[in-house]
Amino acid sequence: MLLAVGTARAHHSPSSIFDMTKKFTLTGTLTQVEWINPHIAIYIDAKKSDGSGVDNWKFESAPPAFLRRVGVNSADFKKAIGTTVTVEGNRARDGSPYGFLQKITFADGNSLAMVSPNEVNDGGAAK
Amino acid sequence: MRKQILCAAAAMALTAAAAPAQQNSTAATSKAPNAVSVHPDFSGIWAFSIALPAPVLKRVENGSTSYAKVDLSGRMPAKSEVPGALPFAARPSFKADLQSKVKYLNDHEAKLDKVFFCGKPGVPRIGSPRQIIQLPNEFVFLYEDISGDPYRIVYMDGRGHDPNAEPTYYGDSIGHWEGNTLVVEATNFVEDTWFGEDGYFHTPTMHVYERFWKVGDDLAYQITVDDPNVLTEPWTQAPRIIKPSTEPLLESPVCVEDDAHRMDNLDHHLQR
Repeated sequence: MLLAVGTARAHHSPSSIFDMTKKFTLTGTLTQVEWINPHIAIYIDAKKSDGSGVDNWKFESAPPAFLRRVGVNSADFKKAIGTTVTVEGNRARDGSPYGFLQKITFADGNSLAMVSPNEVNDGGAAK
Repeated sequence: MRKQILCAAAAMALTAAAAPAQQNSTAATSKAPNAVSVHPDFSGIWAFSIALPAPVLKRVENGSTSYAKVDLSGRMPAKSEVPGALPFAARPSFKADLQSKVKYLNDHEAKLDKVFFCGKPGVPRIGSPRQIIQLPNEFVFLYEDISGDPYRIVYMDGRGHDPNAEPTYYGDSIGHWEGNTLVVEATNFVEDTWFGEDGYFHTPTMHVYERFWKVGDDLAYQITVDDPNVLTEPWTQAPRIIKPSTEPLLESPVCVEDDAHRMDNLDHHLQR
């Protein structure tokens, strides 16, 4: 489902930059974590689809003030630098290697995701 | 600010030390913080009241799943009637010849609202304080904000506004008690803030009145904006109910926003 993942105050809507109608998945090596306002950002080296090299992707996510209050801190991401992660998100419509992060799965299988409140209301059954 | 806090703390310590001995120290008794004892005490940490994403964080760790979300109630109009609240309106009444400008600003908010690009929100968009320090002759308001972590000093000693002060984002604040309600009047703002989302621009004549009172253990907060240059009448917003918090203030990470060049439409959404 399309998540209306509001980035709240201090931002335009994600749909002004990202194609929120399509999700995509990318696997690569986490290279950098920026714990900044108004959104944190993570960077991932991933092979180009044509095999010609590597793109360094940037994914923005929620504001630090949100993540802090749901019990996520920068160490949750930084401890995975240099390891393989898989992210699900929405790609920037300008075609650049830039995305809006909806979910990240770490090499140990643990994951963090922004989900609709409806999923919780459904007892976690909905996707 | 620090010096003032220390001086006030020293005065209170002096008073406390003098009281048991029933000393006749006028210096001490004249500085007794009676204002704290006869009025409600708003000191403390209050819920973060800046709009944040509504979605829920789903964490899967070692095979177990947990969900966490943020209480946004302090940012939203109170859901039920708040005792002591003033009558309010959903939106301000701009003068007829200015409404097209408000609409233009609102339609182009995604690019024109400086708050979108790490700008200071000013008063009243900063919202209610995250922490209040109540002293005999002043309040200290502390905030956590994406643009930085401002403070405000609200003088309660009867002084007027400083006619020589430079305009600022958070203005010149003086306060007084109306019964058990603290009324803070702030003015002398820079012009490049808005007093609300949706293009609510103002002029240097703007005055913002913030009312604080207790409803049980919660803090009620309600603002009135008055700028006769742009409004047909003062605008009072719906009251907010701010819950007490045990979450200590933290310095906000630096704000860096460089997405504007990527925007291919002007979609935006609730912020403040």
